[in-house]
Amino acid sequence: MTRFESELPFFFGQDGELFGIYHAAAGAAAKAVLLCAPLGQDHIRCHRLYRQLASALAAAGIPVLRFDYYGCGDSAGASDEVDWDRCLDDIATAAAELRSRSSVDRVSAFGARLGANLALAAAPSAQLTDLVAWDPVMDGSAYVATLDALQDALRRDTHRFIRPRAASAAEGQWLGFAVNPGLRQRIASLRAERLTAPSLLIDSLGEASPDWHEWVPDPARLHRLRPDTPWDELSRIETAILSHPLVQTVVAHLRERAYA
Amino acid sequence: MREQAFRFGRARHLVGIAGLPPTAPGAVGVIVLNAGLVHRIGPFRLHVDMTRRLNELGYPTLRFDQSTIGDSGASGESQTRVQQVCADVDDAMALLHQHAACSRFVLVGLCSGAQNAHTVACGEHSHEKLDGVVFLDGYAYRTFGFRLRHYLPRLFNAKRWWRWLVRKSREVGGGGNEPVFGVAPLPQDVVRVDLKGMLDRGLKLCLVYSGGINMDFNHARQFRECFGSLMNRPAVSTRYIEETDHTYVLVDDRRHLIEHIEAWLQRNFPIAHAGASS
Repeated sequence: MTRFESELPFFFGQDGELFGIYHAAAGAAAKAVLLCAPLGQDHIRCHRLYRQLASALAAAGIPVLRFDYYGCGDSAGASDEVDWDRCLDDIATAAAELRSRSSVDRVSAFGARLGANLALAAAPSAQLTDLVAWDPVMDGSAYVATLDALQDALRRDTHRFIRPRAASAAEGQWLGFAVNPGLRQRIASLRAERLTAPSLLIDSLGEASPDWHEWVPDPARLHRLRPDTPWDELSRIETAILSHPLVQTVVAHLRERAYA
Repeated sequence: MREQAFRFGRARHLVGIAGLPPTAPGAVGVIVLNAGLVHRIGPFRLHVDMTRRLNELGYPTLRFDQSTIGDSGASGESQTRVQQVCADVDDAMALLHQHAACSRFVLVGLCSGAQNAHTVACGEHSHEKLDGVVFLDGYAYRTFGFRLRHYLPRLFNAKRWWRWLVRKSREVGGGGNEPVFGVAPLPQDVVRVDLKGMLDRGLKLCLVYSGGINMDFNHARQFRECFGSLMNRPAVSTRYIEETDHTYVLVDDRRHLIEHIEAWLQRNFPIAHAGASS
């Protein structure tokens, strides 16, 4: 099997609505890893990094599935149909698909930003044994306010538009994607204390970092990544997010725990 | 109708999603190329929305990642960029031919995708498979008219003069010496000859330029200023959308763009018994 043949794109789930790419690993694996994508523009920005991470994990002997939620990427559904509970169901469906394809029961997950929140929230139903979270959203209402402010700045941005656009042309959207009121409400209600703690928390928020210690008291489970990731900079919303140190950190952590 | 995922190509290194509606024989297949380094879903999922809408109208589609972009790898061949782009599109056409029986195709490309579509379309045998091309923010050149429209209003704007002076002083101070990496665009005369060749070979062209490239293009008249009377030929459709940005970040702008492309396709490549098929 060539490297390309080991990365298989396919549709799965009920009515084949979900798109995923399975990265097979050579040899018998002790665990598999599910990559949970962030939502909206962060999904597009992280696509390359998720592919690199999946390839690196597979090369380390860990089979991986990365996939798109309903309404995201290549999966069925329109962008304005993205639903928080459906995303959680999709993670459970994807975890089952990964178990079936890899013949491995132990499934860990990695998620960036809202992908981390989704993985943490879906952990019980998807029976995820281990979670790596990269800059999860700890205060949903503040995050919603940030995205609203970015969206308002975007429509006024004369580097992008010749003239500022009317507020009505940009309402109900965050950085290129329509957002339905239900999703907006669920994101606004996110609170750290309601989440399962990850086995590794990767922080690259810099000065904007919250106090992680109440949530993750063990310093060994907190990894500070430099440089900071420009998640919420208007001028860089169409710039890919890449981080070789992140890939190295996650692979090292998950490989170590695969044999623990 | 359900989409299908494929790994395909001469080295099975390409990844794409085909929309395969039940179609009448002879339907053109629409192939959407990568916009910059964004993977096949396109900026803000533009390519997903576009291909699904075209599938509803009965057009088979393929959105795919070209070599080394998105989920596609390298073919392992020693090829020039032009050879690689043409070979990737050939592979895409072969896939749609195999699964939707298409023998004629339309390419859609935004930005670098438009450049790549141009590369394929200017091949002297392109008309053997290609029927049309949609260039979104394709090649553009600053013309005399552009300069008049761009600079005249600025001459009497004190704020702009101040910003210009500040910028220049920073450049003198060393702030403007960062290296610039980019692909040199083709000369205007070459592109004009290329477009003429495409039209002489029977291709139909749809050019849609946005206000997002207003540093190079700022009026509907500029199509003719750039490419001459070619733009008056019946096989050419041009549209300048001043209010929108380069990547169509607003939902309604994307919807209007898709409506424009579907209307152009239906006008030029109608599908027999077109209708909803999802």
